[in-house]
Amino acid sequence: MGWTYLCDASDVAPDTLKLVDADGVRIVVANYGQGFRAMPPICPHMEEPLEESGVIANCVLTCTKHLWAWNLGTMEMDGGETEKPLKTYDLKEEDGRLLALVEEELTYDFDEEDDMDDDFFSKS
Amino acid sequence: MTSLARADDLAELIAPAPDRCAVTVDARSGTFAFDCAPGETLLYAGLAHGLTLPHECATGTCGTCRARVMSGEVDVAWEEAPGAAKLKRDKGDVLLCQTRALGDCVLRVPSDVLEKPVRHQIPAARHGVIENLRRLTSDVTHFEIALAEPMDFDAGQFVVVEAPGLQGARAYSMVNHGSGLDRIELVVKRKPGGGFGDWIAGPTAEGAKVEVFGPLGRATFHPDEDRDLLMIAGGSGIAGMMSILARAGEEDYFRTHKGYVFFGVRTLADGFYLEQFARSVDRGHGNLEVTLALSHENLGDVRHPEHGGVKLAYGFVHEVAAAAMAGRYDGVMAYVAGPPPMVDGAIRSLIIGGVGRAAIRYDKFG
Repeated sequence: MGWTYLCDASDVAPDTLKLVDADGVRIVVANYGQGFRAMPPICPHMEEPLEESGVIANCVLTCTKHLWAWNLGTMEMDGGETEKPLKTYDLKEEDGRLLALVEEELTYDFDEEDDMDDDFFSKS
Repeated sequence: MTSLARADDLAELIAPAPDRCAVTVDARSGTFAFDCAPGETLLYAGLAHGLTLPHECATGTCGTCRARVMSGEVDVAWEEAPGAAKLKRDKGDVLLCQTRALGDCVLRVPSDVLEKPVRHQIPAARHGVIENLRRLTSDVTHFEIALAEPMDFDAGQFVVVEAPGLQGARAYSMVNHGSGLDRIELVVKRKPGGGFGDWIAGPTAEGAKVEVFGPLGRATFHPDEDRDLLMIAGGSGIAGMMSILARAGEEDYFRTHKGYVFFGVRTLADGFYLEQFARSVDRGHGNLEVTLALSHENLGDVRHPEHGGVKLAYGFVHEVAAAAMAGRYDGVMAYVAGPPPMVDGAIRSLIIGGVGRAAIRYDKFG
């Protein structure tokens, strides 16, 4: 799909999230005050819809369901009980338009990888 | 006694009795083992063993206690549990709170597990008898459970109660707290289609035998943490806040700390525990504020007509709290309990208000 139009930068107020349809791929756009991020529309913890469950304050996106959180500036997990990183699409702004590089839909593998595979349980 | 005999005795002690199943848990933090009695859920057996297995509601609602059965036979009590909706059943995923072992089994749990809770008592199962039912409003009932064995629990903790003839278990926060208590006080709000609420309001509840598992819950109050207290609760979610207020009262905590309680109900007639609130405010050295937020009746920002220590406000409790607390969040420990939309709204305004996640405590039953 390549670079895909998401929405205008002015459509997403600071510290808010917006769910958009990018040529059939559901993407949440986050404005964290100092920039934008484009991500899958669900929390990697328990698949909560981030445009509803997410709240942004001081560059940190928190899912209010179980308080998993990520710093949208650095993309680091923001301590606490957060166990998985957030996935994001590459994003650029051109003439006030937000575009994401969507090669394929990013997903979290809740069933087979990450949380339940052998690597996950390795006790290094 | 010969050494051989001693070894035999020892083997008998260590090996599970034939009617118990050996359960192995492979977690991120290591491998653990416990055994499970027939009829005991895997979650309760593991928690009673001291393991900090992941869980929140312990009653099938939240989905936090999911695990994968790698080997062994299990029986799932409540297939349609809301928390099971996203499980990959074909991979052997289950909710530990709804699953019983039918033989030895091996589980995988996608979390860190500790061998002992850091701060709280190890929970256990107890028999109990329902006593002293007392209707507080048209749909709220206060009741007690006399326990067969005493229990230690912190202010803010809850238990899971199973009643005869009702499928599944319900989580209720204690209104009281303490050590070695043989009686727990609880409150239940009757909801449309709520089996336990209907049953407790009916004729067969008084004197009924129930099964109690607990204490559970991490939304606890510890005076030595030395924080101002903010409590936001809707409906029967106020139960845990009452135990925190009682604990704070024992310590004369509000001599040196601020306290803000926001309690949401629909109308003035739906308010309860108001005498207790008024008494706490009286003894609060001017540092404790209690606001009854009425979502469906606008009486203005006035004092409660009978309990002058309690303020009234109009609106949903998390919105009333957000408006009243703006700029006053510094140094608070926030406790939140109530219906899920209220809890989400309250957590949202706490985070926007700058309260750190470590200073937000809640146990989500729903």
